Amino acid sequence: MFDRDVVVVGGGPAGIAAATALSQRGFDVELVDQRAQLGGAIYRQPIAGARPVKQSRFAARRWQHLHAAIQHAAVTYRFSSVFVGVDGHGNTLIEDRNQGRLVSVRARAVVIAVGAVEKVIPRPGWDLPGVVTAGGLQVMMKETGTAPQGRVLLAGNGPLLIAVAAQMAALGNAPVAIIESGNPMAINGNGLGLLPHAELLADALGYLSGIVRHRISWRRGTELIALDRAGSQLAAELRHADGRRETLLIDQVALHDGIRSNNFGLPADQAGTTTMPFITRAGDCREALGAIASQLDGMRAAADVAAYLSRKPNDAAASLDGIARQRAAQAVLATMFAPIAGPPRLTALPDETIVCRCERRRLQDLKLLLGGTGALSGREIKHNGRFTMGACQGRFCADNSARIACELNPGSPLVASDLTGSRWPVRPLPISALLGDEPAHHDQSARDQ
Amino acid sequence: MTERSFLWNDQPIAFRDGESIAAALAAANVRDLGPDLLGQPARYFCGIGACQACLVSVDGVLREACLTPARAGLAITPAGARHV
Repeated sequence: MFDRDVVVVGGGPAGIAAATALSQRGFDVELVDQRAQLGGAIYRQPIAGARPVKQSRFAARRWQHLHAAIQHAAVTYRFSSVFVGVDGHGNTLIEDRNQGRLVSVRARAVVIAVGAVEKVIPRPGWDLPGVVTAGGLQVMMKETGTAPQGRVLLAGNGPLLIAVAAQMAALGNAPVAIIESGNPMAINGNGLGLLPHAELLADALGYLSGIVRHRISWRRGTELIALDRAGSQLAAELRHADGRRETLLIDQVALHDGIRSNNFGLPADQAGTTTMPFITRAGDCREALGAIASQLDGMRAAADVAAYLSRKPNDAAASLDGIARQRAAQAVLATMFAPIAGPPRLTALPDETIVCRCERRRLQDLKLLLGGTGALSGREIKHNGRFTMGACQGRFCADNSARIACELNPGSPLVASDLTGSRWPVRPLPISALLGDEPAHHDQSARDQ
Repeated sequence: MTERSFLWNDQPIAFRDGESIAAALAAANVRDLGPDLLGQPARYFCGIGACQACLVSVDGVLREACLTPARAGLAITPAGARHV
């Protein structure tokens, strides 16, 4: 009654590691990815003839090993296909864009490895064209082998900004500056915590040397507080640590305030039954700890699935040790990069700041909604205020809306999932994919390698 | 129109094999992909299909420009074009 042993959703490090390990153990594995190639965001591959972006020796080697291993495994691929959810009958639903329709696969186990999304703190003007995320700018560089055009500013928080700056410089267009709200170079010993993590340290030093060599201005303790149109350009207003203001004219700006799990709407982990699949999340969508941990967690997920399918003892212990080390390393980085002005107070933003980009709901709308009869539930904020209601399904406003609600009503704490809830479809899909016949049977387009 | 171009608002946009619609439009310096379904500017933002800010109409179907490979002959318009 099952079509497949395992469906793995996502072709990044977690999904590749899980699919490879399960295929090597003799299970019938289908890997689904929304794009036409493996790699995910972190290992996005260049198009034919494009110059690969600068990356660390360790990262390049990790990708080579992952890719070689899955090339030798008998995995079936379903590319250009978006995971929709697992329905109440245990069917894994996939929008197969090659077929232009919904496909239903009955799998004994499902590994969900849909990665991370970037955290972006709202600022006035962050919805304008020319404003992208730093990760979005980076995957575009990885794909095309060309740097973004014009005067580009990178702003926000965290080590990704340095990596993107070094990669832009290597492709011939260094950013105007990096605006960093933390000060990781402060002499307080925090960085020493990275010493046991050789690969991360080497990555960091490699990108830092690029910053120095290209004389990129890395303005630590500085915040980008607003963006506005200025003719065909953007005006970026900066606030320095001493309170001084400065305006830069730029063509594009890339924002980034960390990453978080892309766990929106995902089914919960569950034990399998005779009709329902065993479900486990793997990698950044379980816990956002980066590429090394994701690969290990893919192996952990494979061990869990194999133990379930073959009724043998689990051998995930080694992966769990490695993941714990990555968790410690990420904690060190978070301390090093802590914003020097403390966590931003979102209720102090100008009232007209857009919080929900999809539905164009503003801070003043949320203040008005919450200012009346006291605290509202997350669902009321969503259904009455339309926050997290739009096409991104809360991926770029749920955290921020929940934080604003907490600042306004500290006695009634909310988290993102209180607003978004959890239900499929995990992503919007065209009505045309749902119309017509019953969902197609699984094997019409997935191709064996 | 050459073999390796698609139409954006009836204008030919060249692309390289394997490139996304978003990458080809960015190379042509097209940043405003709107109007979106609310009549506002649409734009490339997250690059991984999560934010839905780059939704465009590809031969009549709404697709993320950042995920969808460019193909010769596609007719691409803003998502909200038919509503304005």
